[in-house]
Amino acid sequence: MTSFASLIEPDRIHGSLYTDAAIFSREMKVIFRDGWAFVGHESEIPEPGDYITRTIGSEPVLFLRNKDGEVRVFSNRCTHRGNRLCHEGRGKLRGGIMCTYHGWAFSFDGDLLAVPYEGGFTKAKENYSLRQPKMASHRGFVFATYNPDPEDFYDYLGYGKDLIDKSVSMSPVGKIRLDSGWVKHLFKANWKMLPENQTDGYHANHVHKSFLKVFSSQYDELKTNEEKRVGSVVDWGNGHASIEVSERYDGPLQWLGSNEERYPEYVKAMNEAYGENEARKLMTEGPPHAYIFPNLFLGEANIVIIEPVAPDLSVQHHSPMLLEGVPEGLNARIIRQSEGALGPSGLLLADDSVISEQQQIALQGKSGWLEISRGVDRERLEDGKRIGHVSDETTNRGFWQHYLAKMNRSSVETPVEPELV
Amino acid sequence: MMTANLLPADVYREIEEFVYREARLADESRYGEWEELVDDDMMYWVPRGEGDFDMEKHVSVIADNRNRLRRRIKQLQTGARYAQVPVSPMRRLVSNIEAKPIADDEFNVQCNFVLYELRIQSTNNIEIWPGRIEYKLRRSEGGLKMFLKKVMLVNGDMPLPSLAFLL
Repeated sequence: MTSFASLIEPDRIHGSLYTDAAIFSREMKVIFRDGWAFVGHESEIPEPGDYITRTIGSEPVLFLRNKDGEVRVFSNRCTHRGNRLCHEGRGKLRGGIMCTYHGWAFSFDGDLLAVPYEGGFTKAKENYSLRQPKMASHRGFVFATYNPDPEDFYDYLGYGKDLIDKSVSMSPVGKIRLDSGWVKHLFKANWKMLPENQTDGYHANHVHKSFLKVFSSQYDELKTNEEKRVGSVVDWGNGHASIEVSERYDGPLQWLGSNEERYPEYVKAMNEAYGENEARKLMTEGPPHAYIFPNLFLGEANIVIIEPVAPDLSVQHHSPMLLEGVPEGLNARIIRQSEGALGPSGLLLADDSVISEQQQIALQGKSGWLEISRGVDRERLEDGKRIGHVSDETTNRGFWQHYLAKMNRSSVETPVEPELV
Repeated sequence: MMTANLLPADVYREIEEFVYREARLADESRYGEWEELVDDDMMYWVPRGEGDFDMEKHVSVIADNRNRLRRRIKQLQTGARYAQVPVSPMRRLVSNIEAKPIADDEFNVQCNFVLYELRIQSTNNIEIWPGRIEYKLRRSEGGLKMFLKKVMLVNGDMPLPSLAFLL
């Protein structure tokens, strides 16, 4: 038996963590079923009967608003013969949820209401409700877990609560909405490479050289001068991690490639909501670039979901983080910025996904150890956060230490014995 | 019969020639020559499929105005756009071309396509990209130019791999 502790050291990790099928299926249970994972945002299903289909790890789920206007999460599986109940990515149900196979019908609260030809089915219907994970939400961000006795939600969320609050406070009324749809980007790579890359500030000048050469005049200087790289990275604990991008900006709305003169109504609404000083700080710093373990990424003005599919297959979903209480022109600009950065054709992400795929291919061999020591001697602790230079692997170390704590906590014996080289 | 709306044969030939040339230049990643086919008010739009999408309200895969398209091409031309280093070998078939006039010297053109891409930078898989294209073309001094290319992928709302080349 190989323990996870022998695969994850403080400053290096074993390549089999990205390729081993047994490790993947263990992650789906320990991290995604037994821990809290992000499901969706309440604004995606505004009306009773609105639904979205997603996955929590490998579990297909239905994210639905019931007749009383409350959101619900169910396994998207009929309790009779296991048929998938809803087949489209999104839609609107009327009255209830009907299985297409034999016509079992469920309420929007998951109760089995009726089965065709009742005479042959004598068991108690109340034992055939849809499987319902525990659910919790913060500022409309809904999370779920299949653990009957889960960690306290706010203990799990930790500093993630503040990061979500900061994202949402880009709106003068403190509300976001995700109603412009999702672009789905396929990575033939392990899911853990996505958050690792999202919070890696080291690769930017290399992977995104072509972008910086066209969009920024500073490429040559930043390439060679470590001290000129502005910003920091933060390990917030619980596996949450960020790149602090706000230090790049010295005026409101620069994070959107704009300025306050162009959106006077927005500036006015923000000033009225938060007071001039706080509003100016919020509008200048912009929304965070922060990963919330295990599958949510607050990607500045985007909400991003990481979907693991197989050890070597993942999907990154992104939706522009639209703001309530702002002129629509501002939201249209957020949509354009989103397309510019993220997704299969993003001027940034198209390159990241190919790099992840190249990594995955190379790791199929006898991959050995991967190095994550960068900056280990120059990071500092502050209020339980660990802060490093923007190019340091502080965030990746934080991810892996949390991962190790989760995986080791499980009572299941690890079934894998990768060859340690 | 809809003969009243038929374009003269030489105009249809000219449009067909444009569509094939545009396809070949995109297949061969000849970005500079491809960009010569683009007019100043170009929109290069890849919505998430054939649905009823509104560019101002819905996120697209690509929604480039002329300026962003110019930069997208410049980025490819740096030689460091790693998603296309080396460039994907590609060939596409274009068919079912329907063309109609929309104004003096302006045409709406619709066609189907299937593109085969060899993902030579990463997986070495052949990726199949099927879909429908809507062009808006305008005749100017240098011949036809496009001011809209809208590409509606059959699988536009499904997970898509890296798509850094020109569709």
